[in-house]
Amino acid sequence: MIWRSFASEWVKMRRRRLWYGTYGAITGVVVLTTIVTIAGALHHPDARGALTLAQLAHASGLSQGLTQSGVLLGAVSFSVAAFQFGGEFSHGTLRNLLVRQPRRSVLLTGKCLAVLTFLVGAVAVATVFGICTAFVMAHLRGIPTSAWTSGVGMGDLGTLLGDLAISTCGFAIVGMIAGVLLRSSVIAVAAGLAVLLPIETIITNAVPETARWLLAQQLEAIAQGGSTTVPFGAAVATVSAYLVGAILITMFVFVRRDVTA
Amino acid sequence: MSAATLATEPVVPIIDHKQPDSFAVETRGLTKRFGKRVAVDELDLRIPTGSVSGFVGQNGAGKTTTIRMLLGLVRATSGTGTVLGHPLGHSRAYLPRVGALIEGPTFYPALSGRENLMVLARLGGLRKERVDAALERVGLGGRGLDPFRTYSLGMRQRLGIAAALLPGPELLVLDEPTNGLDPHGIAEIRAMLRSFADEGMTVFVSSHLLAEIQQICEHLVVIETGRLLFQGGVDELLAARAPEMIVRTENLDDARRLLLLVKGTGRGARIVSENGSTSLEIAADCSWAGDLNRLAMANGITLVHLAERRSTLEEAFFEITRKDVKDNIGRGDLHRGAGGLGRRAGLLGEKGRQR
Repeated sequence: MIWRSFASEWVKMRRRRLWYGTYGAITGVVVLTTIVTIAGALHHPDARGALTLAQLAHASGLSQGLTQSGVLLGAVSFSVAAFQFGGEFSHGTLRNLLVRQPRRSVLLTGKCLAVLTFLVGAVAVATVFGICTAFVMAHLRGIPTSAWTSGVGMGDLGTLLGDLAISTCGFAIVGMIAGVLLRSSVIAVAAGLAVLLPIETIITNAVPETARWLLAQQLEAIAQGGSTTVPFGAAVATVSAYLVGAILITMFVFVRRDVTA
Repeated sequence: MSAATLATEPVVPIIDHKQPDSFAVETRGLTKRFGKRVAVDELDLRIPTGSVSGFVGQNGAGKTTTIRMLLGLVRATSGTGTVLGHPLGHSRAYLPRVGALIEGPTFYPALSGRENLMVLARLGGLRKERVDAALERVGLGGRGLDPFRTYSLGMRQRLGIAAALLPGPELLVLDEPTNGLDPHGIAEIRAMLRSFADEGMTVFVSSHLLAEIQQICEHLVVIETGRLLFQGGVDELLAARAPEMIVRTENLDDARRLLLLVKGTGRGARIVSENGSTSLEIAADCSWAGDLNRLAMANGITLVHLAERRSTLEEAFFEITRKDVKDNIGRGDLHRGAGGLGRRAGLLGEKGRQR
């Protein structure tokens, strides 16, 4: 049953504009971040601790650009998921779906899995372009890349890709929750992005300790493999707790609520 | 128990209707409240299996809410019911055998008509051959690959019907399938619905177009402010409304004299002026035409026009839904004392008191 819902959602997501838009946006974010990261690297360390060319030459240098793109990838993922779910209410298409699949929890689960696979695929494609871009930029800036292709370098890249996938899925699930609860793609995207990006940033700047509790900060920390203020394990645990609670509430509301759209 | 049912309104016609073998849809006391507002109120609905049933009522009467409850989209506040023999609360048991178009066709604008149907087919575990067959059935075989956003209103409605046909339904529920269509499109949908019924489907169709309902439906449900006003055969509803004879004389004086003569026979009659023409409406069917003609001739009155006028569904609908009309039923001049509305109002009063 979940498979049917999954396959049905993929019929929708195969459309070209969605592919070009989402994969293009995510790839663009990764490529741009990689370019900016490597182009902005300094020859010598400065007082602010900015990235140096010597640091980029390490095994982890290949993944530096990707590391910086976590939040932006999250924003795109959130928007795509919120649009996919909120759009069912906005377009009035949800009622058609529920007549063919009355098990609402099955419908929601299948759709969610389809959106997550779509977005993880986008991250994987973007990573390939990010790696190519990193090699080109390394060549332009004269950064040795032998360490990047070592076993350690590949291991770092694999770990980062996993972290980015987890972070992207987290943002996407939040987008799904916003779409279902707010029942409008436009409101879900606008409200969600406003909370996750500027509002959380303002709160964190005002009260730095809140970084350990705010959702987008946790997801960003996961994308970076942990940060100085939020360890990776703690971020995963906090996000998991938030999402499990939110998914249960969303599922309950979705199953119980009248469909009048 | 009669399938033709009357709600608690005492002034609504009681129509006897032959008990069908079974009901595709049957509800008892179905009620839906949105906060303090009662959208559907104690609805006892019975849709005979294999019939084409019309569902009519004014805007906001509760038609769409009722349909949504039948499809499991909206939870009933109270009441029970069955669809295709399964309880309303177990929609997953009957929805695979139900096709529905609810409140107009809604699809993904960027997807083609075929892709839109594929979304639903995959979800319902249906083979893709059904998608092509459904598109062909509604005449969209040649346009299936075009984006939905490029479809005309008529094509959108047909795609909505195609979506409803996907599972090969036993029960087809269509909410306003002719909304916004031109006469040609309406005729197409009408022919389509007839063909579905010929194949044995039960068709339950809501519409504002009463002339269409009259043409395609044999069974009718009328609701107002969520309450059942009438259900039963369309023919029976129309037959219960007394036929009238329309008579025109050479001049107004003759019309006035004839009015008195007719009233003298105990029949209801009145003079009506419309579009500069004056005629006499008499509560009688055409079997009395000979007597009327002789009566006129014997008094030196020449009839220049004599015709029987059968009421339309629209008139019957207005009669049972308009409060002002309902309040006046039984007090009108035309049918007083000579059957027709007056007689029925009396009958209704009795039945109403029994309830």
